[in-house]
Amino acid sequence: MSTPDPDAQLAASILAGLGGVENVEEIDPCTTRLRSLVKDPALVDAALLKRAGAFGVMINGRVVQVVVGPRVDTIASDLAELM
Amino acid sequence: MVTGGARAGAHKYLAVRAYLADLVTTELAVGDAIPSERSLTEKFGVSRMTVRQAIDALVTEGVLERAQGRGTFVAPPRADFEMRLTTFGEEARRRGLTPGATVLRCEELPAPAPVAEALDREVGTPVHHVVRLRTADGNPMSVEESWIPVDLAPDLLEDGVPDSLYAALRERGLDPSWGEELITAADGTPEELESLQMQTSRAVMRTARRTFGGDAAVMYSRASYRGDRYSVFVPLREARPTLVPRTRPAEPGAETGRPAQPGRIPEGSPR
Repeated sequence: MSTPDPDAQLAASILAGLGGVENVEEIDPCTTRLRSLVKDPALVDAALLKRAGAFGVMINGRVVQVVVGPRVDTIASDLAELM
Repeated sequence: MVTGGARAGAHKYLAVRAYLADLVTTELAVGDAIPSERSLTEKFGVSRMTVRQAIDALVTEGVLERAQGRGTFVAPPRADFEMRLTTFGEEARRRGLTPGATVLRCEELPAPAPVAEALDREVGTPVHHVVRLRTADGNPMSVEESWIPVDLAPDLLEDGVPDSLYAALRERGLDPSWGEELITAADGTPEELESLQMQTSRAVMRTARRTFGGDAAVMYSRASYRGDRYSVFVPLREARPTLVPRTRPAEPGAETGRPAQPGRIPEGSPR
């Protein structure tokens, strides 16, 4: 349809890395991170998130933090579309 | 809560402390001596121990400072450094303070695991390693340790440690553009306390920062700041709305663009 938007692509990859929208309870966009609460942490693919462009992935129980940097604003908007 | 017999003593101690704190803000200038312990004892009709307790509290808070054998004086105001992507030197200069640095270590070494991870490198990748004591107007403020991948800036330390590592990165087209910093309160190690010349308080603020230039991690740094000399200023803004998935199931393409639900914080959320 249009040229691939890198932020939208990253948003889609992040959602996939978090185990899909079905696995997400909520995502809280901070200044440089997406702090998400997932249903099943076993479905989270940290390697995929890193390959997609995350600068860091911290998993603590059901809380998954994905470091994305200042693009968080646009990525959050793209995520809202996909969720 | 102060109760019973302790109240009278605590009240006296608080009165002396409040008097001194008020004196510092209204009458005394930085470097001025405070009234003698004896005169305070007489003025408030309290023991010398109570006077010392009040003075100790203000020394620990960084309002006053003791000079060995000379007395107790009004300390310089705390530096309230804003948490942003600047260096110590830049922040100090903007506050009218003259920044200084004593290089404690300067070397190239294989990146240990935490450093390698922070810099998105393999463990053992060569990194520049610099440890500096940072001063403001000659007073020790922090001990700062920095790591920069050698592959990004091979000649970074060729002529010694540059005054500003960020400036040196900018000169190489690696402009720091964003970062993340973690701040933790701690008791300083004996080495830190000695470097920072801390005698009364042992409280330090530890920071760990990843600095990025665009998509590349360009520097990792850790610092320990004097807890009695330093405050952190953090500008706040409204949190972005939390994103919550739409209720499923939904027909493909049925509904788009529904705004995210704002601000719902579920039970059990760690923050």
